[in-house]
Amino acid sequence: MTETTSIAPGPDAIAAAQGERRRTLKLEHFKGAFARYKILALVVAIAIIWALFTELTQGDFLTARNLSNLLRQMAINGMVASGMVFVIISGEIDLSVGSLLGLTGGLAAIFDVTYHLPLFVNIPLVMLLGALVGAFNGYWVAFLRVPSFIVTLAGFLAFRGVVLGLTGGVTIAPVSSALIAVSQSYLPDVAGYALGVLVFAALAVSALRSRTKRAEYGLPVPPLGVDLGKLAVAAVVIAGFFAILDAYRGVPLPVLIVLVLLGLFTVMARRTVFGRRIYAVGGNLEATRLSGVNVQVVKLLVFMLMGAMAALAGIATTARLAAGSPSAGTGQELDAIAACIIGGTSMRGGAGTVFGALIGALIIATLDNGMSMLGVDTFWQMIVKGLILLLAVWLDVATSTRR
Amino acid sequence: MMSEYLLEMRGITKDFSGVKALDGIDLRVRPGECVGLCGENGAGKSTMMKVLSAVYPYGTWGGTILWEGRELRCASIRESEDVGIVIIHQELMLIPQLSVAENIFLGREPRALGGLIDFDRMIIEASKLLAGLRMGHINVAMPVSNYAGGEQQLIEIAKALSKNARLLILDEPTSSLTKSETAILLRLVQDLKARGTACVYISHKLEEIEEIADTVTVIRDGRYIGDAPMRDMTTGDIIRMMVGRDMSNLFPREEHPIGEVVFEAIGITCLDPENRERRRVDNVSFSLRKGEILGVAGLVGAGRTEMVSALFGAYRGPHSGEVRLDGKRISVRTPQEAVRQGLCMVPEDRKAHGIVPGLGVGYNITLSVLGDFTTAGLIDENREFSVIGEAIRRLRIKTASPVLPISNLSGGNQQKAVISKMLEPRPRVLILDEPTRGVDVGAKYEIYRLMFALVRDGMSIIMVSSELPEVMGISDRVLVIGEGELRGDFINDDTLTQERILTAAITPTRRAA
Ligand SMILES: Nc1ncnc2c1ncn2[C@@H]1O[C@H](COP(=O)(O)OP(=O)(O)OP(=O)(O)O)[C@@H](O)[C@H]1O
Ligand SMILES: [Mg+2]
Repeated sequence: MTETTSIAPGPDAIAAAQGERRRTLKLEHFKGAFARYKILALVVAIAIIWALFTELTQGDFLTARNLSNLLRQMAINGMVASGMVFVIISGEIDLSVGSLLGLTGGLAAIFDVTYHLPLFVNIPLVMLLGALVGAFNGYWVAFLRVPSFIVTLAGFLAFRGVVLGLTGGVTIAPVSSALIAVSQSYLPDVAGYALGVLVFAALAVSALRSRTKRAEYGLPVPPLGVDLGKLAVAAVVIAGFFAILDAYRGVPLPVLIVLVLLGLFTVMARRTVFGRRIYAVGGNLEATRLSGVNVQVVKLLVFMLMGAMAALAGIATTARLAAGSPSAGTGQELDAIAACIIGGTSMRGGAGTVFGALIGALIIATLDNGMSMLGVDTFWQMIVKGLILLLAVWLDVATSTRR
Repeated sequence: MMSEYLLEMRGITKDFSGVKALDGIDLRVRPGECVGLCGENGAGKSTMMKVLSAVYPYGTWGGTILWEGRELRCASIRESEDVGIVIIHQELMLIPQLSVAENIFLGREPRALGGLIDFDRMIIEASKLLAGLRMGHINVAMPVSNYAGGEQQLIEIAKALSKNARLLILDEPTSSLTKSETAILLRLVQDLKARGTACVYISHKLEEIEEIADTVTVIRDGRYIGDAPMRDMTTGDIIRMMVGRDMSNLFPREEHPIGEVVFEAIGITCLDPENRERRRVDNVSFSLRKGEILGVAGLVGAGRTEMVSALFGAYRGPHSGEVRLDGKRISVRTPQEAVRQGLCMVPEDRKAHGIVPGLGVGYNITLSVLGDFTTAGLIDENREFSVIGEAIRRLRIKTASPVLPISNLSGGNQQKAVISKMLEPRPRVLILDEPTRGVDVGAKYEIYRLMFALVRDGMSIIMVSSELPEVMGISDRVLVIGEGELRGDFINDDTLTQERILTAAITPTRRAA
C-alpha cells in the first residue's frame, strides 16, 4: 500500500492517521491470517487443551493408553461427522443420524446374534440398509421438497421408534467375537509405521503438486522453506501419532477406518464430479441447476452417503459396546453437527472440509475424555461443550473477511 | 478554509491481498453536482464507492477523503450515512416480504409510546416522501415484492433520501430498468440536484451520463485518467478515455451465412404459478435457423424471460408447448435435459441464477462440463485448467487468478464468466437473456464479436434484450413480445425502426403470428 502525499491537516495529524491506519491494517491482516489458517488455529487449540489436561491430571491424560482410547472414542463421531459435513456443505442438515445409528447398530446386532450372519455379509448389508434409509430422507428433501430439518426430525423420532420396536427395548447380546473385533483390534507396529510413511508420502506429493499447480495458475507460490517446514511439522505429528499408538497396542481399527475415510472423502470432495457438485449445490442451488446439473440427484446421493456413514458408526458402536443397545447413538447427530461447525463448515452451505470436521470431532472427544478423567460432573461437561461450540462459531463470524 | 468541493477523494489506493484494485484515484464533487463515474468492467468504480461509503472502513485503504474540507475517517457504513453519504448498491437490497414503508424505515422505525412501532406515522411519512418524489402511485403498505424491479429501484432511492442524503451514490441503478423507469429515475436525480443533493452516478449507459452528469471522471485499470465538465465532452471522448482508443462502431455487424431451420418452438404457453388464470406467455411459436441471431425485444415484464426459461426447461410453473430440434420433438423438462441436447441459457439474474459465489471463477466456468475431464472417476485438473485458462483469455475476464472466488470479480466480469460457462457445453442453440447487462462498451463489443464468431461456426443464438439499439445492431431477425403474446417477427433490414418495434410491442393481436 503506498502512502499518499501531504494532505491538509498538519504533520502530527498525518502521523496519527497513518498510525491508526497501520493498526487497523494489522488487525485486518490478523483476521485474514486467522481465516486462512483456521485449521492450524484449531490444531494449536487442541495442543493447548491437551497441555491443560495433562497439567490438571498430573500427566495421566497424555499417556499412550489414554490417547489411544481418546482416538477410539472420537472414531464413531468422526465417521458420522465425515458424512454430515457433506450434508451441511450441500446446504442441508440431518438430525436423524443418531436414531439411524441406533437402528443400524441394532440391526447389526440382530443379524449377528439371531441370524449368525458372517461379518463380511453383515457389514455391507447394514451399510446398504443405512444408505437406503438415507435415500429415503434424501428423496423427501430433494424430490418432494420438504425441508431437511423437518424430514430428518421426523426420522429422528421414527427411526428410534423402529429400533425400540425391533429390539423390544432390550439390549441384544452377546454379539460374536468377530464383530467385537471391529472395535477392539489393532494394527500392529510394522503395519502402523508403514501406514505412517504412506500418509506422509501422500502429503508430500500433494504439497509439491500444489506448488507446481499454483505456479501454473499464476498464484503466489510460498517459499519452498515454508512448505518444507510444514511438511517437517506434519512428519513430526505423524511420527508422534503412530509412535504413541504403537506404544500402546497399535492403531485401533476404528481409527484406521476414519483415516481411510478422511483420505477417500478428501479426494472425493476435490477431485470427483460428485464432490465438486456438492459445493456448487450448497453455494447456489439455482445457478447450479441452471448449469444443467441434476441437483436433486446430488442431494439424494449426499443423504445416502450420510446414511451409509451412520450405519458404519452403528456397527462400530455395537462392536464397541459388544451389544446392540436400543439407546445407542442418542444425541449423536448433535455431536456430529458440532464437530463440523467447530471444524469450519459453513452452516450456509458451500464451504467445509472433512479434515476440519475430524479436527472438530477430535476437540469434542478431547473435552469429553479430559473432563471425565478430571471427574467433572456431566452437567458441567455439557455446559462447557455448548460454550465451546458458541465460541468457535463466533470466532468464525468475527474473523470472516467477507461481509 | 471552506473548500469549493463537498467531497474530495485524493490518491485513493486499495488492494486485495496484494492485487491493486485502486491505484491513486482522485474524485471531486461540488455541492449539488452530479458526477458521472465511468470506466470499464473491473476499473474500480464500485470499489471506489465502497471506500467512500465505508463498506471498506477507514484504514483498509490508502489516500485521503475530505468532506467539506475536513478529513473523513468512517469506520462503518453507519458513520458515513451520518454525515450524509448514502450508497445504492449494484444489487438491490430490499426485503421483499416487508412493506414499502417498512423497507424505507428499516432500522429507523418511528416509535410510539412504549417502544412499539408507530405504523400509522410510518405509513404517512413514507407516503409523503414518495409523493414528494413523484411516486405517489406506490402504495406504501403493500409488500415490496408486488412492485417490479424498476419501481423497487425507485423505492431504494426513496429509502436513501429518507436518510437525509447529501451525497447519493448510484451504482448502475438502471441496469434492470425499462426506458420509462430510467426516465423517471433520471428526472428524480435532476430534482435532487435542484434541491442541492450531490450525486455520483455510475453507469455503462453513456447516454444517461451525458444527460445527467455535470462532470465526468474516468478511471481505467484502477488508475485515474482524468475529469472534465460534461459540456466539453462527447460520449466518444468518454469511450476513448475509458478504453484508451477510438471506437467508431459499437456494433460490429458481420455478414454470415444463414442455413436451414434448426430449432422450433411451437405454442409455448406459461401460466403464472400463483394465478393460473393469468398467462405470462401466450401461445408463442417461432423458428430459428442455423447461424441466425434472433433478437427478442419487448418491454420489461412482457414475458420474454419466462418464454426462454420454458424453452430451457427452467420455468417454475405450469407450462406447455413443443420444442423441436432438427425437426424432431425433444423433451426439455429440466435444464439438464436441455444442456444435454445442445441448448444452453445465460440467465438474466446473474446473482441469483448465474454464479456460485463461493466457488472460484474457473470452477464456475466448468460447472456444467465437469464430467468431460474425468479419467477413472477423477477430475484431471490439468485438462480442466487449460480449458479454464482458454475461456478466461477468450472473453478477457479480468481476474487475479482462476481460483479467485467469482464473487470478488467486478459485475461485468462475472457476467463474462457466466457466458463462458454456458459456452463450454458447445451448445447448438444459445439463449442469452440480457447478455450485456452491466458490461462496459469495450466488453460489449467483444461479446458481440464472440456471438458473430459463434454463429459463423454454425451456432444459433436467441438474444433477449431490452436495449433496442443492441437488438437492432446485431440481430438478423427480431421477435417482439408484448404481454406474453408474439406481436411481431421482423427481418432486421433497413426498413426496421425502433418505432416499428415499439408500436408492435404495444399493439395487441387477436391471433398469434
Ligand atoms: N474482495 C475482492 N477481492 C479481490 N479482488 C477484488 C475484490 N473486490 C474487487 N476486486 C477486484 O477489484 C477490481 C475492481 O472491481 P470493481 O468492482 O470496483 O469494478 P467496477 O469498476 O465496479 O466494474 P463493473 O463495471 O464491472 O461493475 C476488479 O478487478 C475486481 O476483481
Ligand atoms: Mg461495479
